[in-house]
Amino acid sequence: MTDTTQQQVFDIIAKQAKIDVTTIKPESTLKDLGIASLEAIELIFDIEEHFNITFPDQQGANFDTDTTQSLVDAVQKALDEKAAAGEGSK
Amino acid sequence: MSTVSMRRVVVTGMGAISPLGVGAEALWQGLREGRSAIGPLQHPDAGRLRVKIAAQVPASFDPTANIDERTLIMLDRTSEFALHAAREAVTQSGLDFSQGQTGARTAVVVGTGVGGETTQDEQSKRLYGENSQRAHPLSIVRVMTNASASQISIAYGLRGPTFAVASACASANHAIIQAAQMIRYGLADVAVTGGTEACLTYGALRAWEAMRVLADDTCRPFSINRRGLVLGEGAGIFVLESMEHAQARGAVILAELAGVGMTADATDIVMPSANGSSAAMSQALADAGLAPQDVDYINAHGTGTLANDVTESRAIRLAFGAHADRLAVSSTKSMHGHALGASGALELVAVVGALRDSVVPPTANLDQADPACDLDYVPNIAREMPVRAALSNSFAFGGLNAVLALKRAP
Repeated sequence: MTDTTQQQVFDIIAKQAKIDVTTIKPESTLKDLGIASLEAIELIFDIEEHFNITFPDQQGANFDTDTTQSLVDAVQKALDEKAAAGEGSK
Repeated sequence: MSTVSMRRVVVTGMGAISPLGVGAEALWQGLREGRSAIGPLQHPDAGRLRVKIAAQVPASFDPTANIDERTLIMLDRTSEFALHAAREAVTQSGLDFSQGQTGARTAVVVGTGVGGETTQDEQSKRLYGENSQRAHPLSIVRVMTNASASQISIAYGLRGPTFAVASACASANHAIIQAAQMIRYGLADVAVTGGTEACLTYGALRAWEAMRVLADDTCRPFSINRRGLVLGEGAGIFVLESMEHAQARGAVILAELAGVGMTADATDIVMPSANGSSAAMSQALADAGLAPQDVDYINAHGTGTLANDVTESRAIRLAFGAHADRLAVSSTKSMHGHALGASGALELVAVVGALRDSVVPPTANLDQADPACDLDYVPNIAREMPVRAALSNSFAFGGLNAVLALKRAP
């Protein structure tokens, strides 16, 4: 794996929001980046597809106000759980 | 707009197939007892789905009862629900459509969000999953959105204006409004109308999962511990007729459908706007000749999502002003789930029951009041109180609002 998880997540966000990846900061929320509710759900889908993971249903969570760092953390957690489950990770 | 020249419209029959059982009375009894029909999802693919709960029509529903074999093979589950609910409504109305011009002067308008979803899902599985070369030859007549309306028309020889209405979760209310307007303006004397939905297929459930709006415990409208909506299914079908037509034949009138309101938010495809929905409520009141203080009950859209519950509460305040504090507002979706295109029809059973029996059904599972929802939601236990007039709200994805105003039978 060449890119870090953070780099990959940021690349996906940049593509979705049609912004320069360097403008994304860990503390940026999706809302800051102009990603509204339905686009946020689509972004979650893109991330799940890219990493072949499934986020648990975060009941009550509002993706708009999540920071990009919290997304990266959630991806890393899902990747770690997948590895621990013995499904292998690349 | 003057309503003086328009004919009055009354409800003379109702029928339902719902998660609370077979029949409108089973639904109404369940609702007034505060009984939730939400339970573990029963589905062949339940093991690999993330969604674990739903409000499903119980297995005691026998789609073959009193329907001949030749008709049955034409029916998607959506139409099975609709035909059975229609039979109950027609029987209750006491109408004989073979008499005189009754069949020719009867309209059929049935709302459904997606139509024959079960058939669609089965055929997709055959073609894409099993690489079959052939689709079932009755796929089209089962899938088409107008199938339910057409099957009801054929079953009873109803030859007036007949069509389907689709507006996602507002489909039933939009359909009932079209039917009522045709009676008001003299295009028909009678209408068989309502909504039906049966879309708990693997494909549709996966699509709902991806939207991340489904609760994993139960449906808790207006409660701060809400976790989203719970999908349901079923059908509610009503017989509407002009008041003079009903009175001339000595029919029992269940309620008057006195006014209607329809608006579009024109803002977002999923996020609701209080302005759009309050405007629909205000329209319905004005159309019915009701002042806010004439209304005692609102059957809320009340999906149990944060976006709906807070916005709808604000919209009710906008439309009702100070009288909002005196209204009983409840979401029966907490018990029958969100039957999408059928939901307004199941909820109309609740509204007719409330007007007829002077009992407001509760909002079940409301155990932690949400400060952002500041109305009287009749938590958990039905309330005996006189209900002179009531609204029934349906708001759909796409920003579409359809509101019915009903009055107690004259």
